[in-house]
Amino acid sequence: MEIEIISFGKIAEFISNQKIDIAEIADTDSLKAHLEIRFPELKDIKYKFALNNQLIQANSAINHNDTLAIMPPFSGG
Amino acid sequence: MSAERYNRQIILKGFGEAAQQQLLKAKVLVIGAGGLGCPALQYLAAAGIGHLGIVDDDTVSLSNLHRQILFTTADIGKLKTEVAAKRLQEMNPQIGIVTHPIRLQKDNILHILSRYDYILDGTDNFESRYLINDACALLSKPLIFAAVSGFEGQLAIFNSADNLAGSTNYRDIFPVSPGKGEIPNCAENGVLGVLPGIIGTMAAAETIKLITRTGEPLRNKILNYNLLTHQQYIIKISQANNYIMPKTVAEFLNMEYQDTCEAPHGYEEIDAAALNELRQQESVILIDVREKHEVPVLDKQVFTQVPMSELAAFITKGFSQKHVVLICQHGIRSVAAAEALQEKFGTAKKIYSLKGGIVKWRDYFMRA
Repeated sequence: MEIEIISFGKIAEFISNQKIDIAEIADTDSLKAHLEIRFPELKDIKYKFALNNQLIQANSAINHNDTLAIMPPFSGG
Repeated sequence: MSAERYNRQIILKGFGEAAQQQLLKAKVLVIGAGGLGCPALQYLAAAGIGHLGIVDDDTVSLSNLHRQILFTTADIGKLKTEVAAKRLQEMNPQIGIVTHPIRLQKDNILHILSRYDYILDGTDNFESRYLINDACALLSKPLIFAAVSGFEGQLAIFNSADNLAGSTNYRDIFPVSPGKGEIPNCAENGVLGVLPGIIGTMAAAETIKLITRTGEPLRNKILNYNLLTHQQYIIKISQANNYIMPKTVAEFLNMEYQDTCEAPHGYEEIDAAALNELRQQESVILIDVREKHEVPVLDKQVFTQVPMSELAAFITKGFSQKHVVLICQHGIRSVAAAEALQEKFGTAKKIYSLKGGIVKWRDYFMRA
């Protein structure tokens, strides 16, 4: 299945907005592990997932055509 | 109240006299009179917020002026709170403005926040942001959160319950503060002046909407804004249960908000005088961890260039000197580098980071 990835801030420097095919991945925990292998820089930064505009607080199922946002914290002012 | 001053918003359908009265009665505290705080303060003062507080312990510097638009070149060196209060009072003499020229800390923040109804966080560091978040949650004060990074901004309202759920706070998104150097700040990363102008103005709009119950303020939502594409992405925040939040004043006072550099570490943060002394020692390597394009350029005979992107390879390769001094532009990346070296070498080498970086000790580097 295909999902859309949207990323922000420093994360957008190494994961651009894109559609990815995740045939074997069914939930956000597995996707997190997959993305941290594919983009190792992700492991060194704090971030939060949102699936279809909803912040992810616990492992959640992913469906075809879902949108996953990856958001780091900003502190600048 | 002069109705004529506010006429254009009073005649606005869905706003009116009642909303204007609510603004007049509101007590709003803006923390940080910087890139976000300046435009927020201007619009809040102009809109007729009756009691406006300003917190900032800093003075105006030249590199502030491209985004902190309350200040002029002649204000350099003056306290931001004083200059801001004077300008805002000239713009609107009908409102009350109180200045707090201090740095908020555990022991003074509750006292100050308790005098206000709405808090706008326009600070520039995670230490302050977590302190303000926890204090607002403890006091149940609505918090308008605004932050920028590069060409992007974030905007949210915390501690204000919507109809569907209870209220959320910043720790529901990011339970603990990032480490030093993990997320670059504006001084490290740069920022286009107009970006905090946009996000700060949006924060003022959210404050006004919240006070006057107009429209749909970003309660329990965080907006991500991209200046380059004008793309906006709103994320709904739900409550998490994976963090510690102080529930009493005593618990709050026991929390740790200091930057990680205040805690004891295997490296030492030094000033330029200590750097100068170290340079006289034997077996010293001075490492400039900035990227190669950054200025001022230091004497490469004296300062070994190892950009952060090449640091891991440099550490793996190893070097003979016993004392290592790490230097960067503002003393933030050099701390991250010191931590990396500490992890590899432990007590085998003495590791130092120049606190405040080249910018702070510019005179020293220009002489050196």
